[in-house]
Amino acid sequence: MRLLRTFLGFSLAATAVFGQFLNPAKLQQPATDTWPTYNGDYSGRRFSTLSKINSSNIDSLSLAWVYRIGAGAGTLGGAIKSTPLLVGGILYFTIPDHVWAVDARTGREVWQYEWKSKGGIHLGNRGVGIYEGWLYFETPDCHLVSLNLKDGKERWSKQVCDMDQYYYASVAPIVIKNHVLVGVSGDDLDIPGYLESRDPETGDLQWRWYTVPQKKGDPGSETWPNVDAMKHGGGMTWVPSTYDPELNLIYVGTGNPQPVIAGKARNGSDLFTESIVALDADTGKMVWYFQCSPHDTHDWDAVQTPVLFDGEIDGKPRKLLAQASRNGKFFVLDRTNGKNIVSSEFVKTNWAKGVDSRGQPIPNPAKEPQIDGALVSPNQGGAVNWPPPSFSPQTGLFYVNATRAFSEYYIFDTGDKPEGWGGNDRGGWGESMLQALDYKTGKICWSHKWEGSGIRSGVLSTAGNLVFAGDPSNNLVALNAKTGEPLWHANLGEAVSNGPMTYELDGAQYLVVGAGDTLYGFAMLSK
Amino acid sequence: MLSIALVTAMAGCVTAQAPVARPPAAGSAKQQLPDAPGKETFQKICGSCHSAQIVLGRGMTREQWSELVSGMISRGAKGTQSQFAEVVDYLATNLPPKEGAAPAAGKALGGFTMGPDDKQIVDSAAAARGKALYSAQCVTCHGPLARGSDNGPDLVRSVTVLHDRYGSTIGPFLHQGHPAPGGTAGTSLTDEQIKDLSHFLHQQVDDTLRSGPYSKVLNVLTGDPKAGEAYFMGAGGCNACHSPTGDLAGVAAKYDPPTLQQRFLFPRTGGFNRGNATPPKPVTVTVTVAGGPAVSGVLDQIDDFNVSLRDASGEYRSWKRTPAVKVEKNDPYAAHAELLDKYTDKDIHDMVAYLETLK
Repeated sequence: MRLLRTFLGFSLAATAVFGQFLNPAKLQQPATDTWPTYNGDYSGRRFSTLSKINSSNIDSLSLAWVYRIGAGAGTLGGAIKSTPLLVGGILYFTIPDHVWAVDARTGREVWQYEWKSKGGIHLGNRGVGIYEGWLYFETPDCHLVSLNLKDGKERWSKQVCDMDQYYYASVAPIVIKNHVLVGVSGDDLDIPGYLESRDPETGDLQWRWYTVPQKKGDPGSETWPNVDAMKHGGGMTWVPSTYDPELNLIYVGTGNPQPVIAGKARNGSDLFTESIVALDADTGKMVWYFQCSPHDTHDWDAVQTPVLFDGEIDGKPRKLLAQASRNGKFFVLDRTNGKNIVSSEFVKTNWAKGVDSRGQPIPNPAKEPQIDGALVSPNQGGAVNWPPPSFSPQTGLFYVNATRAFSEYYIFDTGDKPEGWGGNDRGGWGESMLQALDYKTGKICWSHKWEGSGIRSGVLSTAGNLVFAGDPSNNLVALNAKTGEPLWHANLGEAVSNGPMTYELDGAQYLVVGAGDTLYGFAMLSK
Repeated sequence: MLSIALVTAMAGCVTAQAPVARPPAAGSAKQQLPDAPGKETFQKICGSCHSAQIVLGRGMTREQWSELVSGMISRGAKGTQSQFAEVVDYLATNLPPKEGAAPAAGKALGGFTMGPDDKQIVDSAAAARGKALYSAQCVTCHGPLARGSDNGPDLVRSVTVLHDRYGSTIGPFLHQGHPAPGGTAGTSLTDEQIKDLSHFLHQQVDDTLRSGPYSKVLNVLTGDPKAGEAYFMGAGGCNACHSPTGDLAGVAAKYDPPTLQQRFLFPRTGGFNRGNATPPKPVTVTVTVAGGPAVSGVLDQIDDFNVSLRDASGEYRSWKRTPAVKVEKNDPYAAHAELLDKYTDKDIHDMVAYLETLK
């Protein structure tokens, strides 16, 4: 197994020192002085073993630094949606077309890089990937760009999608052995989604896995009415995958089928859209799938992080995968084979008639969008969107910042072959809450209802018996991980807009969170 | 699949917060947002996800802007009803349809910042000429909307068309000798004709994008007004607060049916887009500190830690929430929210059919 090398040290003279060799398997164990990949480790748990900040001393947490991208960002208030990576004492984070390197101890800018854009949707960017001394990120105009970690100088860029077909890119690349995983976005026209693996040195394509069949006879092609429909069937890959080094499997959640709302010309379950799919990391070949929303017509991408952990089911140790999906359902699967263990819901929903023999929801056709409207919950934004959840092996609870919302779904295009969207949802009402789920049963262990609704923040849990999440009133809140009691907050003036992360440097534990155009570094600075 | 979390602002509505002016973004302003009332609200509400370029260069009617903003609310835009109304006012006033352009021309400019910056800008007159040519020569195989048929491929999904700029790829393709059963051979088309065809095809692509002419609620009047009246007076319990001869007299003259439907489902966000719409009723709150007098007012902000209000005299008050501080919230639309779990879709369509009789 090839080793992944990262920078460890960063001397006062700002010269990088090659240090520790990091075995990819270690990425399954939360690191303390690094955060080397989007979720902190390959498992997607966003659980930190650090406990210097804990439920007993959280009141002493103080603000250590602030970094505002603000006026320098070249955009009108682009929000920080990326989770910073931490390597060698430097944080690396993005907004569309921009990358920053910032001192993790002080918030001081080390370098900034700007990509000259040629277009694409600039809605968000989820961050960078790092391999040895190189950084990777994707741009709205469909490029994978590699920078020198040391100074932000561009090494190369490769086109990874076609803007003319209305693709764009927003996902954080994930580096696995000598593979840079690259996903794509875009659901304005009917185009196929795919996940690519590229060479970290050259950017050359190693493999590409299409989420929808490209010809008759391909796996899943029996779930589409014709080749035209399947080849243009959507399924974008816009949230980072997780990875099990022992099984050598990548777990990717796939996006909505196309056309998005008016689905009459794609009858069938539309595989492998809105599915959790296991791929061989070296070949990109599919090993198993589980479909979270067969034949969806509500834009409920199933891209939410497939979180990996080992647990006990009926007294037996199992390798598990759990997802709180945008459609409101909570799934626990055996990650070796995709077999369903739990299908429940983390907010009340009204669109499914039950589950099939594989544990997959059966959609109620009456709750597909209608010309005169159908009242559906969740709404298009979903019970959760892209912001990452967290799983704590300490409490055995899965935490998700959730919304229960209704909206009215309409068909706008009544033709025989709607394309693009062909409908949409309108209006809405919602309420938001942080849910803590028991993975063994899928039942809600505790629920903390927020005042108001509308949340865009991810979740972090730590060995300090804490869960960190944003509320709808611009607070970063720390709650007791076992009970859900709010213990501490800071109002940041804008909503928490990314997944919080944590690390320890020089004996002090830091907590870093993005809210709008500002990155905040909190720390337990007292001895 | 656009990202975005969610939904409607429940608390803290109505009280207009002083918009925070952002410093102008360096290097971003190819064009400037018009300085006019509502600009700061636009920046505050829309700016957390979008750059100014998303609207600059576009021109649309008030109704089109309303539809667009309504769509954004369903995708997670956060703000109060009055802020959304201000955004629509600002856009409709300052970015009206372009002079002399056909109704669809605003969208033809590309809509949002999706797609490449150098995308083709559709000339509607050329597209109309192209349509005539298309109807005569191409429609039999490629269908009326260029979405293909059994005899010819979908041109909206054609990579050749999507890569085309003003005939740059479809010209060479047609000149290679495109088969034309019953039509003119591609080789005989002039450069001008190809350019016109290109404008027509790109217009079909633009119309397929989310901002296209299909973004419109068609007909919600499918229910039974009698059953709707029975629901209103019975199971729905609507008559506890409303009366067809009182507050709802003439409501159907005020709102079109889709707006009516959205308004009774979601009174806080539905149908904000009519200029003469009654503003939604605010959430009120009563705060009582142990041993002290009760203070009531319009809720400004509430979270787990603090609560603030504006009282009848307009004074702003805030408290830290402790066990000694009693907070009672009153949302006048709470009954509407409770109904969301009870309505069947038939109830909803019967209700709108009934409300439509209240002219």
